[in-house]
Amino acid sequence: MRDKENSGTTSMSDNNLTDSEEQVKTTWEPDYDQSSPGARHFHNEVNELYPHESADRHLGALLTDLGERNLYDAAAQCNRCGYCETSCPTYMLTGRETISARGRNQFVRMLVEGQARDPVAATESLSTCLLCGACSSACYAKVPTPDIVLEGRRALTGYGEGFFARAAVGTLLNAPRLFAFWLKLAYLAKMTGLPRLAARMGLYDFIGMPGLAEAESAIEHTPLRFASEILRRDQELKPQGKRQANWAYFAACGPNFVFTEIALATVRVLKKNCGDGVFTDNLCCGLMAHNYGRLGDAREFARRNIARYEELKAGLGEFPVIADCSSCAAFMKSYEQLFTGDEEWRPRARAFAAAVKDILEFIPPEKAGRAAPAALAQAGRVTYHDSCRAAHGQGLRAEPRAVLRKLAGEQYRELPESDWCCGGAGAFAFTQPEISRAVLDRKLRNIASVQADTVVVGATSCLAQINAGLREAYPSARAVHYSVFLDEVTREDGQQ
Amino acid sequence: MFKQDKISAIRAGLESIVGRENVRTDEAEILMYSYDAGMARARPDIVINFTAAEQVAPVVKLFYGAGIPFLPRLAGTNLSGGTIPLRGGAILNLSRLKKIRQIDTGARLALVEPGVVNLELQKALEPFGFFYAPDPSSQKVSTIGGNVGENAGGPLCLKYGVTSDNVEKLEVVTPQGEVRTWSYKDRGPDLMSVIVGSEGTLGIVTSAWLKILPIPPLIKTASAAFPSLESALGAVTRIIGSGILPRALEAMDKVSMDAARLGKADPFPGGTEAVLIIELDGSEEAVLAAELETVHKICADNACSAFKMAGDEAERTLLWAARKGAYPAMARLAPDVLVEDGVVPRPRLPEALRETRAIISKYKLTAGLLFHAGDGNLHPNILFDRRDIQEVKRVRKAGYEILKSCIRLGGTISGEHGIGVEKRVAMNWLYGREELDFFQSIKRAFDPAGLANPDKILPVATEKAAGAPGSQAFGSQFAGQEKSSVFSGRAALSPAARGILDELRLRSDAGARTAVTGLGTRLKAERIMEGARPLGLGRLSGGAEIDRENLTARVEAGLSFEELDGQLRAAGFYLDLPPLKGSVGGLIASKACPEIRGTLLGLEVALADGSLLELGGKTVKNVAGYDAVRLFCGSLGAYGVIIAATFKLRAGPAPHFGPGTGKSAGLAPAREPLKEAPDWDAFEPEAIHRRLKKEFDPRNLLNPWVYRGEGLRDE
Repeated sequence: MRDKENSGTTSMSDNNLTDSEEQVKTTWEPDYDQSSPGARHFHNEVNELYPHESADRHLGALLTDLGERNLYDAAAQCNRCGYCETSCPTYMLTGRETISARGRNQFVRMLVEGQARDPVAATESLSTCLLCGACSSACYAKVPTPDIVLEGRRALTGYGEGFFARAAVGTLLNAPRLFAFWLKLAYLAKMTGLPRLAARMGLYDFIGMPGLAEAESAIEHTPLRFASEILRRDQELKPQGKRQANWAYFAACGPNFVFTEIALATVRVLKKNCGDGVFTDNLCCGLMAHNYGRLGDAREFARRNIARYEELKAGLGEFPVIADCSSCAAFMKSYEQLFTGDEEWRPRARAFAAAVKDILEFIPPEKAGRAAPAALAQAGRVTYHDSCRAAHGQGLRAEPRAVLRKLAGEQYRELPESDWCCGGAGAFAFTQPEISRAVLDRKLRNIASVQADTVVVGATSCLAQINAGLREAYPSARAVHYSVFLDEVTREDGQQ
Repeated sequence: MFKQDKISAIRAGLESIVGRENVRTDEAEILMYSYDAGMARARPDIVINFTAAEQVAPVVKLFYGAGIPFLPRLAGTNLSGGTIPLRGGAILNLSRLKKIRQIDTGARLALVEPGVVNLELQKALEPFGFFYAPDPSSQKVSTIGGNVGENAGGPLCLKYGVTSDNVEKLEVVTPQGEVRTWSYKDRGPDLMSVIVGSEGTLGIVTSAWLKILPIPPLIKTASAAFPSLESALGAVTRIIGSGILPRALEAMDKVSMDAARLGKADPFPGGTEAVLIIELDGSEEAVLAAELETVHKICADNACSAFKMAGDEAERTLLWAARKGAYPAMARLAPDVLVEDGVVPRPRLPEALRETRAIISKYKLTAGLLFHAGDGNLHPNILFDRRDIQEVKRVRKAGYEILKSCIRLGGTISGEHGIGVEKRVAMNWLYGREELDFFQSIKRAFDPAGLANPDKILPVATEKAAGAPGSQAFGSQFAGQEKSSVFSGRAALSPAARGILDELRLRSDAGARTAVTGLGTRLKAERIMEGARPLGLGRLSGGAEIDRENLTARVEAGLSFEELDGQLRAAGFYLDLPPLKGSVGGLIASKACPEIRGTLLGLEVALADGSLLELGGKTVKNVAGYDAVRLFCGSLGAYGVIIAATFKLRAGPAPHFGPGTGKSAGLAPAREPLKEAPDWDAFEPEAIHRRLKKEFDPRNLLNPWVYRGEGLRDE
């Protein structure tokens, strides 16, 4: 008897027809349940997901909508109602519980409880997650599925331990200028007709631009000077001698290393509408390291950025930190979660996070200026794509729309399923090209359905992904970053 | 042979049908189909992901042939463990079959695949100005296939009926892998309606033709705040009793409201303990305004502290979001929730509430209370954490006591969520031995090898022993209590009815055949064949027993419809049916008017051996067991003799029927008086009809010509 109860309730043979009884009892009559440590007694410190000595590769606690929870409690908060499932892109495309939001939560829970013993079995389930967070938006309890999935991924052997992962993140952290140099080499390689080499180097992967590997033409002019190099020389942005600043521009990696024009547009828009500001001359926010298994590195990125912020704050007083890639802004807003066990850094991270603002929310409609008719005519029909980390990660939906509606007026169209992920999702397009493509197709169909000419986005991976898709399927439309759009349509004649 | 070997033996066949990548036996996939939104857990051995509806029948045939259990699964949001593979075997995942194949506004039908999400269908219908009535709170994620499997309800079913009332036709893959298309209008016993609510135990739906309705031109939504749930429920009874049939009439308590608000400001005055959501629809502004005025007044009379109309679509959406979010929002309060689904006759809701509360507090639990108040359907959402063993025990006991309380109040154990595995044992408390055996025989007829979603709905051997009657399992006040059915049992039957039972038993003992002639309206002497002796039901015609508060009437089968109609009108009620002729029993058995099923809540039936079955009940919703009431619609007297029927009444003056006249307050525009087909009994039984006959009347004693003597052959 005991054996059968312990067998995880799988019935492999027909010769015990009362099996079903046992199985039901295992959940409904806990007396019978000896099979899982989590169910034996109420002990929420259970964690069979990873050994204690690997704890530094994991988050100490998750900061959820319902308060600070350990991983087990956070996953257990899911009561399996399933209301998230229809918001999960991978579930909607495949109909498979295994690669659905609820499924991923349950998988991690089973791993923690030891009911599923081999994390390798979870590889498909966890690696196909876009981390878009649509499930958490749909969830009444706001179960933080993306964080739970990442915790699961971090338990996979070898995750984040690849040569390029270590080398690229390490260089970005310790020798950003070397990284920039390296990246330029990659661009040169691309220009000389060796784009595959760049892809193979795994670089795009780590700067969140995997779409580029598929669509090299996304880079219209290779930025041989990165945004940070330009901004560093901008006298108006130097903190020296200033007593206060209305804003500080944080150069996220996408705008910094690839889409330089976004960074410059953001700065122009800020200068024009929000007065005097500074450039933080920051490091990468650490999101890529965080998402790809290198939590220690992510913490280090965070600490250095926080220290940089505090240094500026000492001279300038309070100021908002403006980022123009929603993924990075959302991540920096969650810095506190990296340091839940660290009494020194936790309050510092909280203070920094509170100062972070996405450019999407920073400029109120009344300060956004006025659209120049010619520029607006050129923009045509305008629509807005909710980048996942803006809508689901930061709850920013109304703010950018208010500005766009004001600027574009009649020309603005609401995009159906606007918060359906585009499939870019960091390195997702690179690691899961097939699903990514199917996710993107649905986005493109929706864009076509409103006959949009301009799709405004707030994150750089969306920009690359959607543009790559549009070029192929709907070339009369283009995606532009929010800052670029604001900059272009409000630019007065003669400024161009 | 071990199951794994059996699977290996058919694996190549499965792969050739659905493709290699869609046949999964890896640990991840197995684990991910071991749970649903309920509490039960068991792992399947194999998962099949379908990409086309045509793949289902051949796959089912393979599993059936190999003796491997299987069950269909869609969103996995059911609350009774219905999609848990208790004996392992195969999960047939139909989630990708989600095409809306046709929307025909002329015929008012939508043809959809089972994986279509309820809300997606609504969105597709909206541009045409149509809607599909069943709107379970889970509609954002639950699918048509699942809704059919559970016979889902929803707020709108108060006025528009549950899923079963809104399905026109189903394409079903039988457990043996045959494809059949059944409509409730088909001649003969209504197999389609038995499939609805059968939780995948009788077949798998691969296409559904759903009835769609024009969106009413006017919809008004109001919320009413009350200082107590009791006063809110008092208002509910009076609203329904006033003759107004709201589109929806929902109640929720403070716990539910607070959770669903998600921290937003409380729109209701302080001291609010319960809220009603009242929604009315119609086409005439004046009528609707008058109804609203009445509703407002009734609420005010019941201590309502704030009555507020939803000003615009946004406010209306917000109200409904709060109501429909009340269950998922329980996740904010605790990691697990047990949702009970008992139904009681509406006037007994306040009692049910009192008892439910007493039970919850006795076990020191917290629950959010939700009511489809107009239907008498209660959803206590009991909170717990399944990692706390002691708490789980208390929750389980409380759940069972609540169900027993519903049964004792004349209700049933599930209105719309199904029995699955979690409420299986409670079937023993609701039904007697005869009814449970009868349900078992239905299962055998559809699924001779017992492989389609086995061990669901009906109690299994071990539970029979411990269950009935009034289970002593908890040593509660129920110990020693007799089966407390809605019906009063044989003892309460009229002498005429008891006479019929005795006569049938005598004839059965003698092996004599019977022709059930009723009042002789349809079954004329020349139709009687095979030497059957007539059995008239003229004496079985006591007056209708009207339950004024509950809006139901129990009627003996020999009463003529005209007579019934007259009695009801005299009492201020009517049936939502066109004028009909003949005995009540004859009308049901002949299915002269297929719509009669929509008004029928319960049946008392004598089988050929004189045993009595009590099916259905006095509640407007009931998914406990197979829908045998509807199975008897069109049974042509060959399955059993209908002794009495319980109907759902409408209050108020009856609408006029006839060409071009007035309006019906009910579902459809005024119905023409029925033109009966002269060949009402032209019926070609199919294999399942024959197997059912063999189960119910193995010696072919009742109306033997219907199955033509040879009828009891298997095919």
